[in-house]
Amino acid sequence: MKFDAPKFLPGGDRFIMVQFGDDAEIDLNFLALGLTTAIKADQTRGVIDTNPSYNSLVVEYESDEISYGDLQKELERLIGGLGSVEKLELDSRLAYLPAMYLDPWTRDCVADYSAKITPRDWDPAYVAELNDLEDAQQLARVHSGTEHWVVAVCSTPGLPLMRPLDPRCAITSPKYNPPRTWTTLGAIGVGGLSTSIYTTSGPGGYNLIGRTPVPLWDPRQRLPVFKDRVVLLNAADRVKFVPIDKDEFGYIEARIADGTYEFNITAYQRFSVGAYKKWVASLNADRRF
Amino acid sequence: MIEVLKTGLETCVQDFPGRKGAFGMGFPPSGPIDHWSFRLANLLVGNEPGDAALECQFIGPALKFKAPAIFALTGGDMQAKLDGEYVPLWQSVAAGAGQKLEMGPALTGARCYISFAGGVDVPPFLGSRSTFVLGKCGGIDGAPLAVGGEIPVGVGEGISGRRIKRKCLPPLPNNGKWLIEVCAGPNDDWIDKAGQKRFLESMWKLSPKSNRVGFRLEGPKWTFTRKAIDKAPENGSDPSNTIDHGYPIGAINLGGQTPIILLNDTLTLGGFINPYTVPSCAFWKLGQSRPNEIYEFELISIEEAQARKRAINATCSEDSIELA
Repeated sequence: MKFDAPKFLPGGDRFIMVQFGDDAEIDLNFLALGLTTAIKADQTRGVIDTNPSYNSLVVEYESDEISYGDLQKELERLIGGLGSVEKLELDSRLAYLPAMYLDPWTRDCVADYSAKITPRDWDPAYVAELNDLEDAQQLARVHSGTEHWVVAVCSTPGLPLMRPLDPRCAITSPKYNPPRTWTTLGAIGVGGLSTSIYTTSGPGGYNLIGRTPVPLWDPRQRLPVFKDRVVLLNAADRVKFVPIDKDEFGYIEARIADGTYEFNITAYQRFSVGAYKKWVASLNADRRF
Repeated sequence: MIEVLKTGLETCVQDFPGRKGAFGMGFPPSGPIDHWSFRLANLLVGNEPGDAALECQFIGPALKFKAPAIFALTGGDMQAKLDGEYVPLWQSVAAGAGQKLEMGPALTGARCYISFAGGVDVPPFLGSRSTFVLGKCGGIDGAPLAVGGEIPVGVGEGISGRRIKRKCLPPLPNNGKWLIEVCAGPNDDWIDKAGQKRFLESMWKLSPKSNRVGFRLEGPKWTFTRKAIDKAPENGSDPSNTIDHGYPIGAINLGGQTPIILLNDTLTLGGFINPYTVPSCAFWKLGQSRPNEIYEFELISIEEAQARKRAINATCSEDSIELA
């Protein structure tokens, strides 16, 4: 639920957390990202960095430049300036990311977990059943049928946390317990209400439903798309997964390796929360693809 | 240029304050944990306090100087010898070409800093030379020192024989017990009154399963308020679960019943609550404490934490230095 007034919570001598509500209502993320944008435009005194998430924003500040109390006042002023959430418009690029759904590599991850930790069904079949879908194929159809909103880029470098913008494509599933000890790089996972892409091959808790061959960050900045940036996505970008087969996965992998892969990212749109909400209200969210 | 003969235990290039402004890309700040000793090391050799230098952890490296250099060691005592002669801590020293600096395990403290006049000269990544090992970036090729590798050093104008005044040294305890400052929040209201009292009145043991990502603490159980139990289902099922939120550096992050102090290389976001936060004035203590040592926590206000930080910053100046 959205709070009547945002809460301000201290984090030691150099952080303040602004919380807009206590659940994962997508409006709360729009507000957190709206405030992030407003802080940057305002160049608020003493602010070093911002770290937005589902319903909150952590702001890092330098206390030699601004006190906790004064920073709270500045943030209240900027939040006041945002107006209602419907009025928010955010810069939002659309990234088309190739995805092989129901791929063999994440299938191996699940098998490895089953053998070494605790037995479990193949994740896509399990998630499909939980969500009243016919089968894993329909899960792939539903998951690739929407733009996914980048809530935050966080946790490990370049890792996007995403929510489906089309309510007909919403998927919920519990995370692994206990977590996996390894996950293949580029794995596409769903957990809670979210989708993520593994940008390091470490532990993880999301259910694995596919894999992308493209990197989401490049510390060496080798590929042309990374010339002026280290990570591919920003919060408030959108991702559209483009289903591919194993041959195309191999083709794209080879183009990544030889440095000629051309990323497909459009950057001319702004996201209007008001227009989006109007569209959502017109849908029958019970119908699946 | 300096050649690496032995690496020590994950010895890394760091700078202060580290990689700032990159949370939104998923990068923590990295940088030295004991940033007080780190800055004093740089001042001794005539550098800017935040210039890139080495952080040695538990066991120091062995290095060979390929050219004359001025260097200084601060922090924990790793029994450093230059061509077999003990090297004093907290003092700038001249090394000649071909001389070897050999270090061992820490006798006191846990981290020793080695600064070189001119600073470690590696290219910055996202505005910082700090190594982020998990992200394989910053420092020298995004990794700790490697045997046979070389450490490039910039041009400096340091002189030997400068030392930190005794009264300006970080006061390392000699009984393995630390009083660590904490501030309440952001999620202290998820812990009930008895749990808050228990946290502040108990002794906590620093687990050996600790590193620059987080320091794991062993101690009594936590108890929660209704807020932690009666919450929207997307928060998760455990009382310590919350909807993913950004993590302050220094947060005492509660996963189930295990508190972990999130350090310089932490994950930037996650789904556990942070009842308390260790402010920056206590980070030098974290950096110098050893596994199985004991923490007790001192609750202070944000304003007090900021005042203590300013007091430490004030000692990171030329006024703290005298000629030996």
